[in-house]
Amino acid sequence: MKSRQQQKDILFSVLVFCGSFAVNLLIQKIFTTQTLVPMIFVFGVFLISLKTHGYCCGIVSAIVSVFAVNFAFTYPYYAFDFFVEESIFSAVIMLIIAISTSTLNIRIREQEMLRVREQEKLRSESEKERMRGNLLRAISHDLRTPLTSIYGSTSTLISKYDALSKTQQLKLLGEIQEDSEWLIRMVENLLSVTRIDDAKVEVVKTPTVLDELIDSVLMKFSKKYPHQRVITDIPDDFVDIPMDSILIEQVLLNLLENAVFHAKGMTELRLSVFLIDGKAIFEVADNGCGIPAEALDRIFAGSYEKSAAPVDGTRSNMGIGLSVCAAIIKAHGGEISAENRPGGGAVFRFSLERECDDEQ
Amino acid sequence: MSNNKYKILIVEDEANIRSFIKANLETSDYQVICAETCTLGIMLYASHHPDLIILDLGLPDRDGLDLIRQVRESDTTPIIVLSARSNERDKVEALDLGANDYITKPFGTEELLARIRAVLRSHRQGAENESTPSGKYQLQDLLIDYDKRQVFVGKDEIDLTQTEYNIMAYLSIHAGKVLTYAAIIRAVWGYSDYGSVKKLQVNMKNIRKKMGVTPGEKRYIVNELGVGYRMLEDNL
Repeated sequence: MKSRQQQKDILFSVLVFCGSFAVNLLIQKIFTTQTLVPMIFVFGVFLISLKTHGYCCGIVSAIVSVFAVNFAFTYPYYAFDFFVEESIFSAVIMLIIAISTSTLNIRIREQEMLRVREQEKLRSESEKERMRGNLLRAISHDLRTPLTSIYGSTSTLISKYDALSKTQQLKLLGEIQEDSEWLIRMVENLLSVTRIDDAKVEVVKTPTVLDELIDSVLMKFSKKYPHQRVITDIPDDFVDIPMDSILIEQVLLNLLENAVFHAKGMTELRLSVFLIDGKAIFEVADNGCGIPAEALDRIFAGSYEKSAAPVDGTRSNMGIGLSVCAAIIKAHGGEISAENRPGGGAVFRFSLERECDDEQ
Repeated sequence: MSNNKYKILIVEDEANIRSFIKANLETSDYQVICAETCTLGIMLYASHHPDLIILDLGLPDRDGLDLIRQVRESDTTPIIVLSARSNERDKVEALDLGANDYITKPFGTEELLARIRAVLRSHRQGAENESTPSGKYQLQDLLIDYDKRQVFVGKDEIDLTQTEYNIMAYLSIHAGKVLTYAAIIRAVWGYSDYGSVKKLQVNMKNIRKKMGVTPGEKRYIVNELGVGYRMLEDNL
C-alpha cells in the first residue's frame, strides 16, 4: 500500500513537472517573455508538495525545476550555467516553498488522521455503551421476575405461616430455591462480563489442560442437570490451551444449558473438541428443534426481546447467556458461531488459539 | 455427646449468610460462635479455641488472609475459606498460607456440611501419619497400598511410575482437601520452576489414563481449575 502510494506520488510529480515544462515552452513561443517561467515552476513545485506525501517529491521537483529553468529558459539556452546568481537564489526559494508546503501538508494530514481515529474510538465506545445498556435493560427485566416471586413467597410464608399446610409451605420454599438458583446463574454470567471489563485489553490466559476443563464443566453441568447425558468427543493427547478457564467454563456451561432450555425434542447432546491448524475448535451440538432462521443472525447480539417471552412461558437467560459467550470468546480473540445442522438440531461452535502469545 | 460438640467459629460480615450458616450448623449438632470482623475473629479464636474456623476473605476491617497467617503461627486448627467464584488467586493464596479447604459462594448447605466433616476428620487422623503413611487407602474401587507402593483399581494393579505413585500417595494422604499445584510440586519434586505445573498436569493426565478415567466421571480425583487437585474421600 505504501509503495503504491509512492508510485502514485512519483507519477503525479513527473506529470506536473512535464506539464509546467510544456506550458513554459508554449508561453515562450507565444509571448516571447521569460518572466513567467519561474512562476510556473514554483506553482508546479507547490502543487507537487501539496498533493504528495512526505518531503521527497517536493524537494526533488524543486531541484529539478531549478535545473530546468537554468537549462532551458535562461541564457545560454539548452546548456547549464551555474554562475548565474539568479538561479542559486531561485533554487533556495523553490526549496523553501517545497519544504514549507510539505510540512504544512504533513501536519494537516496528521490532524486529519487523529480526528478519524478519535471518531472511530467514539463510535466503538458508544457501541460498547449501547451493548451495555441493552444488557442492563435485559438484566433488570430478568431480575425483577424471580425477585418478585421470592419476595412474594417469603412474605406469604411469614404472614400466613400457620394457615399454610406443610405441603404448601414446602412448595413455596421450593420455588424460592429454584428462583435463587436461577439468580445465581444470572449473576455468574454478569460476573463474567465484569471480569472482561476489569482486564480492559485482554483476558489473562493461563494454559489449561483440555481434559481438566471438560471434566470440570461436565461435573458442574451434571450437578445441575443430573438426567441430561452429554456425549464427549475430545482428543486423546495431552492438550493445553491458553485461556481464562473460569470464563471458558462459563461459555461451555451456557451453551450446554442453552441446549437443555431451547432444543425441544433433543435426545442427544454432544460436546466435541477438534484441533485444527493451531486452533482448538469447541462444538456443542444437539439434535433438537434447531434455531429459527430469523433469530439465527442476531443470536449473539443479546437480542433479548426474542428470548424474553419463550413459547412455553419458562424464564431463560438465553439472550444474556449467549451474548456473554460471544463477549468472552471475543475477549479471547476467538470466533463464535451458531448454525442449524443439516439433520436437525443446532450447533454452536467457537475457536481458541492454541499459541500463547504472552508465554515466555 | 451433647456437651462435647465441635466448636466452630464463623468469621463473616454478612449477617444473613452468618445466620443461615449458624442455623444449619446448630441443627447439625455443632456449637457455633460468630464474628463479623477479622479483629473480633482473632480475639474469639484466642479465647474460645474453636475446632474449626469458617472464614470469609472479604472482611471490612482486615484481609481474611491475616487471620490465617495469625492462626497458623501457633496452631493447626482447620480453616475453611469462603471465597468468591472469580478469584483463583485468593483461593491459592489462602490454601498456600495453610487454609485447609475453600468453598465457593454461593454454596449449598449440604456441600458446606460435607466439607466441614471432611476437614474435621482428616484433621483428627492427620497429625500422626502425615509423612510416612502406612497401611492402605480405599476409595470406591481404588486401593492404594502404601507399604508395597502399589495402586489397584478393582483387581488390576495400575502400573505407575515413581513420580505418578508419589503424586497419588500425596493426594490420598490429604484426601478431601484441595492441594494447590505448588503444594503438590513441592511435595513430589521438592522444587518448583516455570513449567513444573505443566509437568504435574501431564503426570495427572497419564495417571487418569492408566486408571481409565474419562472426563466427566466423578472418580477419585477432582479438578479444581486454576487451583489444584482434590482426591475424593472414601465414603464412610
